[in-house]
Amino acid sequence: MTSEMQILFWILLFPGFVFTAGLGLFASWLVRKVSALVQYRVGPPVLQPLRDIRKLLSKEVLIPEQANKWVFIGAPLVGLAGVLLLSTLLGVSAFWPREIFVGDIIVAIYLMVLPSLALILGSSASASPHAAVGTAREMKLVMGYELPLVLAFIVVIIKSGGALGLSAIAEHTPVASISGAVAFFVSLLCIHAKIGYVPFDMAEAETELGSGVLMEYSGGLLALWNLTSAMMLVALPMFLVQVFLGGFGTTPAGIATGLLKYVGVLVLIILIKNTNPRVRIDQAMRFFWIWCGLALVAAIALATVGNIYGIGWL
Amino acid sequence: MDRAQLIESLAQIKNELIKVEKTTDSRFYLVCESQNACKIGNFIFKTLGCRFVIATAIDSFHYYEVLYHFSHDQTGTVLTVKAMIRDRENPSVESLGQFIPGAQWIEREMHDLMGIEFRNHPDMRRLILADDWPQGVYPLRKKPKNEKVN
Amino acid sequence: MALSAKPIKKSPWVFHVNTGACNNCDIEIVDLLTPRFDVERFGIKLVGSPRHADALLVTGVVTAQAAPRLREVYRQTAKPCVVFAIGACACGTGIFHTGYHVVGPVDKIIKEIDPNAIIAYVPGCPPKPEAIISGVVKALSIL
Repeated sequence: MTSEMQILFWILLFPGFVFTAGLGLFASWLVRKVSALVQYRVGPPVLQPLRDIRKLLSKEVLIPEQANKWVFIGAPLVGLAGVLLLSTLLGVSAFWPREIFVGDIIVAIYLMVLPSLALILGSSASASPHAAVGTAREMKLVMGYELPLVLAFIVVIIKSGGALGLSAIAEHTPVASISGAVAFFVSLLCIHAKIGYVPFDMAEAETELGSGVLMEYSGGLLALWNLTSAMMLVALPMFLVQVFLGGFGTTPAGIATGLLKYVGVLVLIILIKNTNPRVRIDQAMRFFWIWCGLALVAAIALATVGNIYGIGWL
Repeated sequence: MDRAQLIESLAQIKNELIKVEKTTDSRFYLVCESQNACKIGNFIFKTLGCRFVIATAIDSFHYYEVLYHFSHDQTGTVLTVKAMIRDRENPSVESLGQFIPGAQWIEREMHDLMGIEFRNHPDMRRLILADDWPQGVYPLRKKPKNEKVN
Repeated sequence: MALSAKPIKKSPWVFHVNTGACNNCDIEIVDLLTPRFDVERFGIKLVGSPRHADALLVTGVVTAQAAPRLREVYRQTAKPCVVFAIGACACGTGIFHTGYHVVGPVDKIIKEIDPNAIIAYVPGCPPKPEAIISGVVKALSIL
């Protein structure tokens, strides 16, 4: 295959759009079904997320008169592109390790910001007071969790001896050490906030803001946001698996254990989602900056000490 | 003060009252003419220290009545000032809302629905009827039996 | 994009509008959306914005104050959409027929701006949550 065709294959089919969207819709069904079972009820059938997207594509798109049209329409596309590239990057570094470049973890960190940034831009272009309050909250939330997320990845980079390539990091299992476990737990909560699940869903707080950031979106554009959200359910836990839990192997046994690790991270996300109330934005910022920040500074110190003296379990 | 002292202290305003009706042990109606209602209401609120509860407007065919309900929380007594408005063409009474801020909204509501004018009300605006409801139509006034509704 | 209402059958997202009700029907609707009746198995989800909604659950006899707001909410709902009139008051003004503030039942107000609106009626005072589910499912099955 020529390299253009291979890149198109990566982006469109596997591990790109078709694979991520399919697995993402299945994962979002899994979240709804397990939440239903936890609440002692039945829950939606398997194809429900696909039916939701199909229904949204068949409705009219309403754009507010005073909204900034280009930003309004472009924001969901930018968000989708960010998640798509992120999952492509992760898949290629897992299954075709020689094709990827050193330093891709930094590109991945930048790509992870794109969906949140797109949400902020799209909702501030909505010309609606509900969306304005949601935008303010989302901006504060992003400021809150980006710092601990980057610190957590610094712990990982230290623990794997300064390697900056995802496939090189995936050879180690940083979670099997104190600093790695702390970093894993903090980055799990940051991922949780990035996807926008309870307890950090104050940007789209339905009982308070009547849909908050996505208030003015309808039809096909809303379908793009839902698809982005579903794809983030694949890309972000896969990122955690790759970076903390030892990644995917290329043998069938390796792929199976990788999938089990992914399902494990998903189960943790579902558990956190179902057992917590929504917190206020100032509580969230305080939690991320003070508690998570201090914990990660201690973790970085432990990891550096462990690296210098060769103690593995620090 | 207990209930007996409360009723005795009403003697201070007995020149303004027509009569005092006692319906149950804890419920007293102080009937008066409309020009004295504000003075009596002020006396009960400030001097006796009762809490203003709510007000009621009634369209009895020969006159309007505006009732101000006050509660004496220590004894559980309710004193109601019953102002009789004899003028049916232009019903009007001095507003209690200028002295008791809590009475302002209920007086706006009584004005919207019954058309009773409250003189010197600090903020008389439409409260409860729709924004495009015509002025001068007071829905809760009694209509003669054969008149069409709506 | 065709404006056929068929995809709504399997995934109706609802938005609740109160146009001057006594709140009994609203309490029953809130009951409906609790885990006990589990409407998520039909794909029904409560959304916070009329722009995301496919079905408007309208309660209450439409008062003069609420009529322009109801028209505005209907206009902002992305078509195609279904309007459910929940309760005796919404279906035909119920016992408030001679009230001074009553402008009309829900279908009269909606048809003023959209004569081809799809309106379904769930009578009751208030209708039980089981009755509301039955009405919604029956209406969606003939779309």
